Amino acid sequence: MQQQTGKVLILGMGNEILTDDGIGIKLTYELEKQIIHPDVSFDSLSIGGLEIIEFLSPYDTVIILDAIKTLNGVPGSVYRFVPDDFKSTLHIDNLHDISFLNALKVGEKLGIKTPSNIQIIAIEIVEDLEFGDEFTPQIQERWEDIKTEVKKIILTILKDELKLSYF
Amino acid sequence: MKQYTIDPVTRLEGHGKIEIFCNDDGDVENVYFQVPELRGFEKFVEGRPIEEVSQIVTKICGVCPGCHHMAAGKAADMVFGVEPTPTARMIRELFYSAHFVHSHIAHFYALGAPDFVVGPTAPKAERNVLGVIAKVGAEIGTEVLKQRRIAQEIQALLGGHQTHVVMNVPGGVRKGLTEEQRKDVLAKAKGFVEFGKFSMKIFNDVVLANKDYVDIIVNGPYSLKIHSMGLVDANNKVNFYDGKVRVVDTLGKELHKYAPADYREYIAERVEPWSYLKFPYLKKVGWKGFVEGQDSGVYQATPLSRLNASDGMATPIAQEEYERMYSVLGGKPVHATLAMHWARLVELIYAAERAVELASIPEITSPDLRAKIEKVPTEGVGTVEAQRGTLTHHYWTDERGLITKANLIVGTTNNNAPICMSLKKAAQGLIKKGVTVDDGILNMVEMAFRAYDPCFSCATHSLPGQMPMVINFRDMEGNIQRQVKRD
Repeated sequence: MQQQTGKVLILGMGNEILTDDGIGIKLTYELEKQIIHPDVSFDSLSIGGLEIIEFLSPYDTVIILDAIKTLNGVPGSVYRFVPDDFKSTLHIDNLHDISFLNALKVGEKLGIKTPSNIQIIAIEIVEDLEFGDEFTPQIQERWEDIKTEVKKIILTILKDELKLSYF
Repeated sequence: MKQYTIDPVTRLEGHGKIEIFCNDDGDVENVYFQVPELRGFEKFVEGRPIEEVSQIVTKICGVCPGCHHMAAGKAADMVFGVEPTPTARMIRELFYSAHFVHSHIAHFYALGAPDFVVGPTAPKAERNVLGVIAKVGAEIGTEVLKQRRIAQEIQALLGGHQTHVVMNVPGGVRKGLTEEQRKDVLAKAKGFVEFGKFSMKIFNDVVLANKDYVDIIVNGPYSLKIHSMGLVDANNKVNFYDGKVRVVDTLGKELHKYAPADYREYIAERVEPWSYLKFPYLKKVGWKGFVEGQDSGVYQATPLSRLNASDGMATPIAQEEYERMYSVLGGKPVHATLAMHWARLVELIYAAERAVELASIPEITSPDLRAKIEKVPTEGVGTVEAQRGTLTHHYWTDERGLITKANLIVGTTNNNAPICMSLKKAAQGLIKKGVTVDDGILNMVEMAFRAYDPCFSCATHSLPGQMPMVINFRDMEGNIQRQVKRD
């Protein structure tokens, strides 16, 4: 985990070799070529845990890109949440360690600065239990649309909500 | 902002669950624990160069990437018929010691301590690491973060990255250690020893000084009398990085001691129609079912079993703590599942002391980082102790070193049968006619599972921080009579 100095972190989470599971990380690879701003950084993590506290500390806003599976969900659907209105995306929590939200609370308790603004963008996936470095056909088919929609949401956050200049 | 109502299907809810079968009196007859298994690893690595696999496998699991890197790296050594240089071996083991420090601290403070420091039946909202900090103080919480970070920094220094490790190459390591770095790591490792001792003191003061807790550990429904497995060095002392696999029976007598490459002569895997995960067992003993006792083929591979299977620890403070644990718990072997937390702290101290030993050796800065490869690649097995059990990687290659076949037995899979059996015993001891199954009871059932520090590979990351346990109570015909769900 390389520490960055920007104010906004766009964080992909997942596992790149578990078929659709790494979609959040693969999105960051694409978007960092398109969204270039001195205050915006990109990074990736496979799981949450205690490390997240210090890792996120330099940032004011964190936009998490993660995979999700929902009941009767349509593959490729893009959802936007804030921590208070979501249950669980696939990588935001970590049984072996502590949950993402608890990590932030621990940070607050220990007097460590934590991001005040957490946004979560989740993409409905199909397969996350089979090894493979390519998406399933259903996600591959929607890939261009997914990138467009996620980029649009991120730009809305950056431009309209955070009022970042240069956009 | 558009509002979505969603109902996430985590893997545990979709595929993993605990099924409790009760008889007409309301007593527990049987318990089934089911988890998903990741599929297709053999196909995924087929055709890839063996020397690349140690980097690929760090992505198998975000929890123990260093363990997979090390097992795959050792397998690659064997594929090429080469032994790493003494310097490379020291660097690898130093990295691995830091990996253990990092992981064992996380388990104790984030997963184990809430049950004891806050209390096994304390309100759910308090029974977590926040509750631990509230009890022991923010200063200790800060120190936990600091020591974890330092352990990560050492792994990143030696491994290139703390998660996506690129350290091992067949016959050695990519990068050496400078004298300045050695001194820095040594100072940090000394800090680990102090923190390990401090953590043990918390365990003594909070857990062992509480008679109720000791009673739960020793007399609660958490004992499991099965065989114990662990890697040992030439003196039968615990070793995480290398050695022979030793198995002792339920009485502590050596049953097997074998070179890791011979694992298929000693370990077989059973398939059950109700489980995605296989159930390894001792092949020479045979599968006798999910039963305890001397005749059982079931073994465990955990911090406690490593201590049971050894004749001691190779470092002085860990050895003292090892002796104290067995003295308090009535001698070897110990079958109290919750004593795994204690054993884990003994191992934390050992890992810290071992890191000090290795960082104290001046030759660790030698530039002799890699042995020359002269043989045609064929087949190799790499075994290490992962934090949660003995981990084996086995690869077959063609003459170019391209993988033709792979087989992995991961730490937690070793413990699949013991986890199921521990859950059944805990459920039978805690859930009876007339007992209200509340969150506290559920947590006490979960404690039997959590002690193993289970990691069902990437399956675990889907869970919302605590296990979203779904317990179905069924009658003997299989009809669900009641469902208790915690999400």
